[in-house]
Amino acid sequence: MTTITRTDELVRSVPQPTSSERGDRAVAGVSHTVLIIWSIVVIAPLLWTLLSSFKTSREIFASPFALPASWNFDNYVSAWTSAGIGNFFLNTVIVVTCALVIVMLLGAMCAYVLARFDFPGRRAIYYLMLAGLTFPVFLAIVPLFFVLRNVGLLNTLPGLIITYVAFALPFTVFFMYSFFRGLPDEIAEAAAIDGAGEWRTFFQVMLPMARPGMASVAIFNFLGLWNQFLLPVALNTNQDNWVLSQGMAGFASSAGYAVDFGSLFAAVVITVVPVLIVYIIFQRQLQGSVSQGTMK
Amino acid sequence: MSAITTTALVKEYPGGVRGVDGIDVTIEDGEFFALLGPSGCGKTTLLRSIAGLEAITEGTLHIGERDVTNAQPGERGVAMVFQDYALFPHMDVGDNIAYPLKIRKVGRTERRKTATGIANGLSLDGLIERRPGQLSGGQQQRVALARAVATRPEVLLLDEPLSNLDARLRLEARTFLKELQRDLGVTTVFVTHDQAEALALADRIAVMKSGKLQQLGTPREVFGRPLNTFVAGFIGSTPMNLVTTTVADGGVRVGTATVPLPATAEGKVADGAAVVWGARPEYLRWSREPVDGGIPAEVSVTENLGASVLVSAHSGDVRLQLVLGEDDEPSPGDTGWVVATARRSLLFDAATTELIG
Repeated sequence: MTTITRTDELVRSVPQPTSSERGDRAVAGVSHTVLIIWSIVVIAPLLWTLLSSFKTSREIFASPFALPASWNFDNYVSAWTSAGIGNFFLNTVIVVTCALVIVMLLGAMCAYVLARFDFPGRRAIYYLMLAGLTFPVFLAIVPLFFVLRNVGLLNTLPGLIITYVAFALPFTVFFMYSFFRGLPDEIAEAAAIDGAGEWRTFFQVMLPMARPGMASVAIFNFLGLWNQFLLPVALNTNQDNWVLSQGMAGFASSAGYAVDFGSLFAAVVITVVPVLIVYIIFQRQLQGSVSQGTMK
Repeated sequence: MSAITTTALVKEYPGGVRGVDGIDVTIEDGEFFALLGPSGCGKTTLLRSIAGLEAITEGTLHIGERDVTNAQPGERGVAMVFQDYALFPHMDVGDNIAYPLKIRKVGRTERRKTATGIANGLSLDGLIERRPGQLSGGQQQRVALARAVATRPEVLLLDEPLSNLDARLRLEARTFLKELQRDLGVTTVFVTHDQAEALALADRIAVMKSGKLQQLGTPREVFGRPLNTFVAGFIGSTPMNLVTTTVADGGVRVGTATVPLPATAEGKVADGAAVVWGARPEYLRWSREPVDGGIPAEVSVTENLGASVLVSAHSGDVRLQLVLGEDDEPSPGDTGWVVATARRSLLFDAATTELIG
């Protein structure tokens, strides 16, 4: 949708009567059509899920596209309590929040030091971080399993948090590195002359200036960690500690055809809504960070 | 007491490039001091070394009685205004001004009060709550100045303070800056590549080139008696006429004539010596009648400077430039005589480029 408004502005900003006007209009027309179709493809299943979450299983099978007979939250209540989604939701919030706070703090500090201080091994550390970005999760699963078991953190939330932090750190450092590089040296120097030490300069001056970058990385990390599936499946098998993605998978596969589809859809909505909310609130921030990259 | 003394100060960059190459300067307490030179001459490096933003390679730096050669920037009692002001974009004007106070653990209400007081003094009334991004260039500069003077520093450092302002504002800011410095009585060092700015503002000027000091003196000294041809050519809105020539018959050959030796060079040079004769365009006169010691010349170009006119005239293959009042403006093609005052012309050694007299 945002892309549509973008193209719109682009088209409007073109001076009116030129020979290429017709061509521009054709491009705009085609791109609008494609984007409208794309929006339908994306939005329709979401709407269908939302509708279905208010129906009973029988209604869903009888008429998949009809409106629900009565609008009530029975399915949500049953998903939240009897299917344990409430517990999984809480676990997910704890794990993602903790991991996010830790990774943002560590990532920003690491990126700041790598970007603004010159010391032997600086490049090596940075490239190691980049290598971490390319490292597939699958390869790390087995060693991670043993490491966590040996330190006694297997099947615990802290174990999962640490793992999440490790996997989100490279991207955070990579992104914030370029952000801190782009901040003017003079600002840090001004703080130094005012008498600020390194810590103060970082927390009171440089970090607030990097806020747009921090926000976008935080959102990317939030989305990634909220949807994380493979790591918890392998490292967090105790059902009390399950996160939402595991809970959903378990819910869907637990009872085969006997599953309560209404509740299942309600659970899906519960899982998706936080992500949507975050995305809608911060989409300007995300856009901003992208265009910021192109302006320089 | 907050004089600044540098002793054999050297700043060497990795790779052996010397940004500052053995500078000995004493900047007196309360002095308004200019570091002047073309880009890359090391003036900014010297300023940054005084601020503590560059580690000093050799030599010592004293501020007042204290040896601050290796002190942290925050411990030197210096404040600095950066070329691009370096205001903190996420803080409002009040917080920007009061930031050094915050670090010195002054309470918030007290900070705010001080900041407001300083801001009002610098005609920033009512802008305390604005963000730097909402201010004009001139206002931003005054915020940067306010932040610098908030802690009553011993030394104020200004890096190209006027370069980011447009021409009209620059003049205004120049006067303002001089007044402010006089009121505060703080030792002030500023860097500029604009000789007019240095002449206008400074009590004393250090002219630098390639990391070395070329001349240290009052504006009148560096303008009137530059110690070498570099300073002579660098100072002045219109560059000094420098003619490479020889001494002959007790005078100097300039173009097709022989002009008398400068008064101060008399007896210091022998006939046949290779010299550079220098005279400022402002100190040359134009005569339509033959004058004793005048240089016959033909006007090629005139450039209007407003109340005066810059005239280029040729005598043989020597080109001389004169700044004349608008009343005696010649036309291109006119012939006449360029008259130099012996008292106002200078003689430099052609080999060493040093001033003879």
